[in-house]
Amino acid sequence: MFAAAPGEIELRRRKIVIFSLLTILLVFIFILDLLLGSVSIKPADIFRALFEGADSEVETIILKFRLPKALTALATGIALSLSGLQMQTLFRNPMAGPYVLGVSSGASLGVALVILGFSARFIPGNLQSLGNWALVVSAWIGAGAVMMLILFISSRIRDIMTILILGIMLASGISAIVSIMQYFSNETMLKAYVIWTMGSLGNLSSGQLKVLSATIAAGMILSLASVKMLNALLLGENYAASIGLNIKFSRIVIFACTSILAGSVTAFCGPIGFIGIAVPHIARNLFITSDHRTLVPGTILAGGVIMLASDIISQLPGSVNVLPVNSVTSLIGIPVVIWIILRNKKDKGSF
Amino acid sequence: MKRTGIEIIVLDSLRVGYKTGKNAYPILPAISASSTGGELIAVIGRNGIGKSTMLRTIAGLQPSLGGQVILDGKSASDYSRIELARRIGYISTEVVRVSNMRVADLVALGRFPHTNWLGSIDHPGRMVIENSIARTGLTALRNRHVTELSDGERQKAMIARVLAQDTTLMIMDEPTAFLDIASKFEIVNLMLELTRDGKTIIFSTHDFNVALNQADKIWLILETGLIEGSPEDLLLAGAFEHLFESSVVKFNSGDGGFSMLTESKGEIFVKGGGIFRKWTEKAVSRAGYQVTDSMTNPYIQVPARSEEKWLLVMDGKTEGFSSIYELVRGLQK
Repeated sequence: MFAAAPGEIELRRRKIVIFSLLTILLVFIFILDLLLGSVSIKPADIFRALFEGADSEVETIILKFRLPKALTALATGIALSLSGLQMQTLFRNPMAGPYVLGVSSGASLGVALVILGFSARFIPGNLQSLGNWALVVSAWIGAGAVMMLILFISSRIRDIMTILILGIMLASGISAIVSIMQYFSNETMLKAYVIWTMGSLGNLSSGQLKVLSATIAAGMILSLASVKMLNALLLGENYAASIGLNIKFSRIVIFACTSILAGSVTAFCGPIGFIGIAVPHIARNLFITSDHRTLVPGTILAGGVIMLASDIISQLPGSVNVLPVNSVTSLIGIPVVIWIILRNKKDKGSF
Repeated sequence: MKRTGIEIIVLDSLRVGYKTGKNAYPILPAISASSTGGELIAVIGRNGIGKSTMLRTIAGLQPSLGGQVILDGKSASDYSRIELARRIGYISTEVVRVSNMRVADLVALGRFPHTNWLGSIDHPGRMVIENSIARTGLTALRNRHVTELSDGERQKAMIARVLAQDTTLMIMDEPTAFLDIASKFEIVNLMLELTRDGKTIIFSTHDFNVALNQADKIWLILETGLIEGSPEDLLLAGAFEHLFESSVVKFNSGDGGFSMLTESKGEIFVKGGGIFRKWTEKAVSRAGYQVTDSMTNPYIQVPARSEEKWLLVMDGKTEGFSSIYELVRGLQK
């Protein structure tokens, strides 16, 4: 009646094969992302640009534009996917993710407060100089506040669809507040904010990229360090406490981690949807496991691959046009979300 | 009354309930009880009296409002979270539904208080996990996903998880709640075997028969506090009569069963012997008649074999019935 789940040896073999494949794919797609764009560049020129510094024009394109963009895509994919994985486990909700539950909105409220809200000292024209850390920290605070609200709600309501609807309400409410702020802000501020909301991987200064890389690296280390907690939390908080988990401490660690990951990305790249919710499910189904010792690294690799692929698609190789990356990730992620909803109807409550 | 030494667990004037802000709301008077270990303890009491709250407090999942739980001679509050998790395992009615989690993965999570920060399991740990799976009879299902288990199998997997946790004490909140009769007895039997291996299991149940027939000890929770003792001691002390103070049901200290309190429709004598007489008496008393030892009019003559008929003798006239059901229907007319 049931398809027998794979045994120990089969699972380990599968793990090795998929980790290898994902790593190779990640390297391949990263290089592909450097190659493809409005100007076509030969692979040989890339290596020359990276290691020898030959043709100045190619070097400029690679080092100043494509490499930072590819690194941003990598960091974004990793960060959003990891925060999605942690939120899904913490809330025990397959639909959890930074975008759908309004955490990205919370981060954008923090950003809006910085860009639109405060004094003329923060002139949007030199957004880059206003302090990347101010931008990031305000996004963290916004993301953390929404996380807290969602946790408060989900401790009272178990039904995942209800929480999802509340997340949408929360996001709408926040965007209403932001609209009001836009109404009262001046033209240059407004323009800077609107461009930011479109979501882009390519507009980061080298200083911003450094801040993004540092925070995402910190988030990755924190995630890898919390695999045991995440595994215990799969049982639910009661059982997790009964096997010796410090619930409050682990909640703080995971909250901090997801807020840093989702907040940093949102601060610099704008809201990017559906990566956080979709990638963890892809990882679970690739590895057929619930063990975070496999899922955390697996999600890191899969998140990087999918975000880089989205970036390649968004720049429409060979054409001068560029699609908003948010649209591409939505089109990739939404079918996964629909699949989860349909499966959840059948197999109630599990994730 | 602070007893230490041989007791595995002592509840010393423990107060359980809820705290909101500065206010404490105890739901029971201070309770005291103990166990010397290796026994199956059934916690019984009417619905909503606070069995689950008490069990959660003992398991350390909820702060007590006073008194203490003493484990191996030391107050539970002096143990660290991990030390406590190495002594007490907990199973509630909450169901673990996680996709892609195999039985072996679930059981492995029981090793949590024994592993390092990564949760990696060493060889002895792996042996403990496999033994726990084998002990609960789940070897054939070890690679099955937990979402695909039946209720009984899932409960066994939860027990295996606590076995892997390697605790002396197991707290189980209604372990037989959703189970069919066969699974229920399998689980209770497993629990009983585990106590014979040296575990102490404290479980709450609504199944009075299980408590009465299988438990070594009963912790009876009443509005006035906790009474402990073997089921038979409590029976002889008439303790259960308080539990079932009700206008429609009466507890029978003689056989440990229940009877409905219905108005008597008169006395009746059942003539005959053996199992036919026993069940016929049961049927007529359910119908509201009081069975008596002296001759009545009408009276019932039970058959000696099932091919024969039940006879209802009234005023010398005899009516035959081919089943107890028909007899009772005839009697009621």
